[in-house]
Amino acid sequence: MALELHVWGPGFSLPSIDPHCLAAIAYLQRAVPEGEWKLVASSNPTLSPTNELPALRNGDVWIGGFRNIFHYIAQISSGEWVLDAGLAEQEGADCIAFSSFVESHGQPLLDLSLYVSSENFTTITRPLYNTIQPFPMPYLTPNSIRAAAKLRTDHLGLSGLDIDIDGTRTQHSIIPESLRTSRTTVSSLLAASPEAHAQIRLDALARNFLEPLRDLLGEKKYFVSDKQFSSLDCLVLGYLSLMLVPDLPQRWLSKIMRANFSGLCAWTEELRIEVFGPAVTVEDALLKSPGASASAAEQQIGKNFSLPWAAPQDRGVIGVGQTYLATLANSIPVLGEYRRNIREEQLSQKTEEEPSSTLQAATIAGGIFASAALLVGYMFQQGIIPLGGEEPERQRGSGLDAFGEAGAALSIYANQMDAEVQRQRILEVESHGPPHSQPAVEVEIGSNGTVVKETTG
Amino acid sequence: MPPEPAPHEAAEDLSHAPKQKEASFIKDLFSVPLPVKKLFDLVPLVTYSPNQLPQRSPKSSRIPSLYIFSTDHDAAAGRPSFNPSCLKWQTFLNIAGVHYRLVSSNNHASPTGALPFLLPPAQSNPAQDALPVPSNKILKYATDHGGQIREPSGMRYEAYQSLLDHRIRNAWLYTLYLSPGNFSSIAAPLYIHPASSNPLVRLSLSHSLRSAAAAELLKQSAVIDANDLHSEADKAFEALSSLLGADEWFFGEEAPTLFDASVFAYTQLLLDERLQWADAKLSTALRRRANLVAHRERVLGRYYGR
Repeated sequence: MALELHVWGPGFSLPSIDPHCLAAIAYLQRAVPEGEWKLVASSNPTLSPTNELPALRNGDVWIGGFRNIFHYIAQISSGEWVLDAGLAEQEGADCIAFSSFVESHGQPLLDLSLYVSSENFTTITRPLYNTIQPFPMPYLTPNSIRAAAKLRTDHLGLSGLDIDIDGTRTQHSIIPESLRTSRTTVSSLLAASPEAHAQIRLDALARNFLEPLRDLLGEKKYFVSDKQFSSLDCLVLGYLSLMLVPDLPQRWLSKIMRANFSGLCAWTEELRIEVFGPAVTVEDALLKSPGASASAAEQQIGKNFSLPWAAPQDRGVIGVGQTYLATLANSIPVLGEYRRNIREEQLSQKTEEEPSSTLQAATIAGGIFASAALLVGYMFQQGIIPLGGEEPERQRGSGLDAFGEAGAALSIYANQMDAEVQRQRILEVESHGPPHSQPAVEVEIGSNGTVVKETTG
Repeated sequence: MPPEPAPHEAAEDLSHAPKQKEASFIKDLFSVPLPVKKLFDLVPLVTYSPNQLPQRSPKSSRIPSLYIFSTDHDAAAGRPSFNPSCLKWQTFLNIAGVHYRLVSSNNHASPTGALPFLLPPAQSNPAQDALPVPSNKILKYATDHGGQIREPSGMRYEAYQSLLDHRIRNAWLYTLYLSPGNFSSIAAPLYIHPASSNPLVRLSLSHSLRSAAAAELLKQSAVIDANDLHSEADKAFEALSSLLGADEWFFGEEAPTLFDASVFAYTQLLLDERLQWADAKLSTALRRRANLVAHRERVLGRYYGR
């Protein structure tokens, strides 16, 4: 059995930049025996049936969302790979309640710290996505995650942290003036940074989150019980390490943690090393150490890495393009909703037979295939992608060869089209006299001619 | 004809000054002579009291009014609201012993855009009238106005409150608005039909209601996974049930608190016999926890006279 856990890639020396992915990694690390699972930093949520990472792959079955993953692991191991088994009733209840608490109160804090705050986002978080995602994706992903983060933290009235938006917000609100809390004041403009202005609110938010956790931990080794590492510990570890570890320009969150919650800091630091191992770099996770081939990297796994990293499948230009278009389609209002409905139907059916691949592919195949084929064909013509023969066992070779033929076919078709167009134009010129914009037509024909020459040559 | 208006305007501008002079002259001509003005100053001889407001306008009352989702009939009888957050504060005010009257209303009446809100009693001088109290300030209002309030504290309070505010609320939003059977059998008669009898308006209202619920759920996850929502709500009931244990009220208090009111807000609606759930997954999950069912009966019997 080879389970593959697909997560957002590493950042801040942690194995993932997403709290739920970290929680899932910690859970599998503790629950599933070594060698039974692999960790893949694919950073591609479209793989998952719920369109979010972490996602677990077992052969053809994809499971999305960390809670579903826990359930699924328990299911396939017939109750063996479970962390929460054997908790007392009160402990079990605390585990459930605090998991909900951590998710609902921790998420806004991370949203504010990593995404909403303009300075942190532009200098740290957004550049991070360039390292973990292939080329066109970082244009979409960080901004859409940021938009979601802003939406989630909107009710806190701390949108002042985001200084990208215009200062003059013309909000059409039904709330009368006397009941409204003012957002931008003179002092906020004078303050050195919006974070400083919002300091009191941010402190209160962080304390509301951290104080109950500190009280729950007390002197125990783990959050729920003294002996047992539970799913709550996974979740808390995910959130707290993302609050504590990143070195941000606006570090209000880690500052308040270090100043007032030294117990939680010590717990996080200790368990972070114990569960995730030493600092993780992008090269570790993607197994692309310079000069080393895939096999050499695999040999290294046993020695250096405490986490069973596996290289993400190289999906080539087509795969990335497909992901890009799928992500784009998800963000288009009507189309995105339609695609979401399809996913939800699939989820509710709960059929085991290949949940995502076929239908999802079918919905977008037409448009994507045509555009990708044209793009690749063009690239072949221009010689951007070499048709090298020395790629022995990678899937890449076969996929591009197939498109090579497609590209050739297309270019022949294009030649015919060009000839046809030229003939028609000549006829037109003969019958109607010179067209209105003759120079432009000449240029067009000329450029077509050069392309045709290159393909034949 | 663009050039024409310009000279016309200019002419008007020029004629402005003489017109003003003319006006003041006419004014002087019609001004009241002094003896007549003295006579008129005696008028009015009698001032009648102001007309009463129309009967259907909100009456100023000596006790605060709580605006909730309800029917006029139920509001007059003091029955529980059919909206969880309204029911929570209604129950809380009952527990705190604050006297109030219920007004059946809808979101458009609220200054914050959401029910419930509390309108403090009218003062003798309308200028001193207090502002409406939104739901997040009702606790403070009740404390300031002599309510008996016990507030459990401690780390568990926040955590279990988050179960209600997120896990159970999400499942509630899904069950009521997005689950197709329940929307037509429960949500539409309660929220949509009283608002309008026009089918087109009803259609648009229900669409906006459902998309608002979906948007709320999509804030937290990329898709709406019904199974996940239900299983999380089931676990939440399990946790609440073991928190209550064999106690009468939550957190071992001697009298009910705001937390009991928050739990009751959902348990009452899920167990209410008057609501016919087409998709009863959530209420079935709740019925399995006997002590939560008994807790609901206790609150209902004590504060709603059943």
